[in-house]
Formats: sequence, structure tokens, C-alpha cells
Amino acid sequence: MHIGDHTFDEWVQQYQRLLFGIAYWWTGSRTDAEELTQEAFFQAYRSRSSLREIEAVKGWLVGILRHCHSQMYRKGRSRAEIPLEEVIEGSSGATEFRSSGVDRDDSLALHQALKRLDERHRLPLVLFYFQDLSYREIAEALELPLGTVMSRLSRARQMLHASLAGPVAPAVAKKIGGVSAL
Amino acid sequence: MNCDLYRSEMYAWRPGSDEKSFQPLFDHLGSCAECARLFEQLTSSDQQIRRTFQSYPESPSLESRILSGLAHQRAQAATGRSSWRLWMLAPVMASLLVVLFVGVTPQLQRAKLNREIAALLSKPPTLQINTTDRKQLLEWSAKQLEGPPALPADLDKVEFRGAAIVSVETHKAVLLKMKNEQRASLVIVDARLTQDNRFHSMQEGSGSASLWSDGGRSYVLLFNGSEQELHAYMTRMGITA
Repeated sequence: MHIGDHTFDEWVQQYQRLLFGIAYWWTGSRTDAEELTQEAFFQAYRSRSSLREIEAVKGWLVGILRHCHSQMYRKGRSRAEIPLEEVIEGSSGATEFRSSGVDRDDSLALHQALKRLDERHRLPLVLFYFQDLSYREIAEALELPLGTVMSRLSRARQMLHASLAGPVAPAVAKKIGGVSAL
Repeated sequence: MNCDLYRSEMYAWRPGSDEKSFQPLFDHLGSCAECARLFEQLTSSDQQIRRTFQSYPESPSLESRILSGLAHQRAQAATGRSSWRLWMLAPVMASLLVVLFVGVTPQLQRAKLNREIAALLSKPPTLQINTTDRKQLLEWSAKQLEGPPALPADLDKVEFRGAAIVSVETHKAVLLKMKNEQRASLVIVDARLTQDNRFHSMQEGSGSASLWSDGGRSYVLLFNGSEQELHAYMTRMGITA
């Protein structure tokens, strides 16, 4: 499929914010998120002929972002290495912030909860909540079977709610063994 | 199914899910107040989490940085394509140079030959040997050149009255003046100036000339007259190489 430069630039304008947001919650770092988003668009541009349908561009871009994320963390960077100050700074008024009346503590708590999750659960969870992608779209972006995505998401949501002291029942908490033990 | 299992199933549900798959859950929620309360809390908490996810920093310069990076990639790709094209053109350019060399060099050589012939026609050299003895003249000529003191058979009728050493295209040559035709002379060149044995006529400022080769030597018949007069002379003398 031929994709012209003008079309691709329009995609950058349309989806850079989305990719940055996903990368931000995946990494917990604004700097890493910017780096990942840029790299994802650069890789996407180089491999734009691999896109099969224009309608699937969003999932395709998210898939490339996920690939870049794996590359970044294979190179030795991990979420655990990101200083908490950066996460707090990213959630504070120190930078221009896209907020919808969300409590700063909620934001920080979410960061910390995500930090406790392993990548297998964090990646689909962010896609689930952040963009509200369907299970199928998440499965395609992560290149996972639909059943695997559903089971991982179910478990990830339990862990997240438990971590955020949500409505998880003691029995469920006991069943999953507590987030910190995962 | 007990409450624990239904509560696990709550996490698989999301708004818009296939209601039929979750019908047993909803049936249970209708009959279990505690699970219904937890489900309501879960739904409410999910909404709060979604709102929190929408709260993240702005990155005002990101778009321009990506677009500028893409522009750089495109520029590099264009440069790469140009280099590739240049490499692809290299054989074509080389071929053109060869063609030009092969095509132009003979033209330049011919132009130089024409100038030298024109000079011989306008300013004939002073004869260094004056004799009508054909044998003596040919032996003298053979000493100046390399090869036997003989001429091609089609020059058998021609008689000479003297000779002089000249140089044509840096090759050794001898000019023989004809006895019975003052306007004509023959230049024998110790080199092959034409690739075939045909006559190559030339019209120069002060006369005409005809060039041919017998394979080893070249002969230039100079004539202080028109091309027609030259051909008439050649026919008369039986020069039909």
C-alpha cells in the first residue's frame, strides 16, 4: 500500500497525542514517552508499506509503539529505574498538564500501582483504560491471542483495583495473593 | 458458582461486553446484594481510573519534533537515492566517454590529416632528389621508409620526376612529384591512416586529395585542382585501388 508523506504527516498530527499518552502510562516517564513516540513514528514511516488497511492505522501504530517499548527495555532500561521525582514532576503542575479535574494523588497512586505490575499486565491494562480499545484491538496491537488478552486484563484489573484499594473483596485479594507479592 | 467466582468474573466485564456471556453474573447480582454493591463500586472505580488515565502531561513540541525528524529521514533518503542514481549512471557515463573517445578521436585525427594535406598542397616541399628513374626514386624512397621499394600495381602507369621527405601525422612519409602532370603528387606514408582500402576524397582549399591504404602503407594522391579533375586524372592513370 502506498502511503504518501502528506498522509503520514496527518497521522502524526492525529495520533501523536494518543501514542504519547499510552507511552507515558507504560513507562511512567514523560521523557521516555516522548522518545518512544518519536521512535514509533520513525519506524512506522520506514515500514509504512506493511500497513494493510488504512482503517487499521491506529492499532498498527500502537503495535509499533509496543515494539519500540520492548526494544527500549531490552536495552536495559526498566520502569523500576525511573526516579519517583520524575513521575511526580510529570504529574504535577511543574509541566503543562492535561487534566480533567483529577486529583494529583490519584495520578501518583495510579503510577505507583502500574509500577508494581509486570509488563504482561501493564501493557494491555493501559490500552484498556486509556484508549478504551476493544479486546480484539488490544490483542492485535500486542500480537496476542484474544483469550490471553482477556485473561490478562481480568487479572490486571483485579491487581490494579487491589493496589488502589478498590472494591476488591478480601477473598479475591487472597486469591491473587496481593499485588506486592506478584 | 459461589460469590468469589462471580466477583472474579466482574473484572472480565466491561461496558459494551456481550450481555449474554455475562447473564449468569447479572442474574447473581440480582440476587446477591453484597456482590451488587461490589459491582457498583467496581464500575465507579473504573470510571475514576479512566479519568485518571486521561490526566497526563502535555508535550507541546513533540509533534514538531516528529515532523522535523521525518523531514530529515526523507532528506536522507533523497540523498541516498541521488547517490544510488549517480552510481547507476556511472556505467552510462563511462560508456558515453568511450563512445565519445572512439567517435571523436578519429575525427580529430582526420582534421589534423586534412590540415597537413592542405599544407602540402599549398606549400609543396622542395624536392630532395630529382630524377625520372622510377627504380632509383623508389629505392630512395624505400630507404626513407620501412618496407620494400615497390608500389601497388594500380600505380604502375604513374611516372615520377623527383621526391622529398615529409611527415604526415608524425609518420615518416615521402612525397613523389608526377612527371606528366605538374599538378599531381603522391605521398607514401609509412602507416595505415584509413581502416579500409577505399578511396577517401578530400577537398582542401588549394586542391583535392584522395587517400587509400593497401593494408601496410597509406597513399595520398594530391592534386592542385578540383575533385572532378583529380578523379579524371586517377581514371586516366588507372588508379582504381
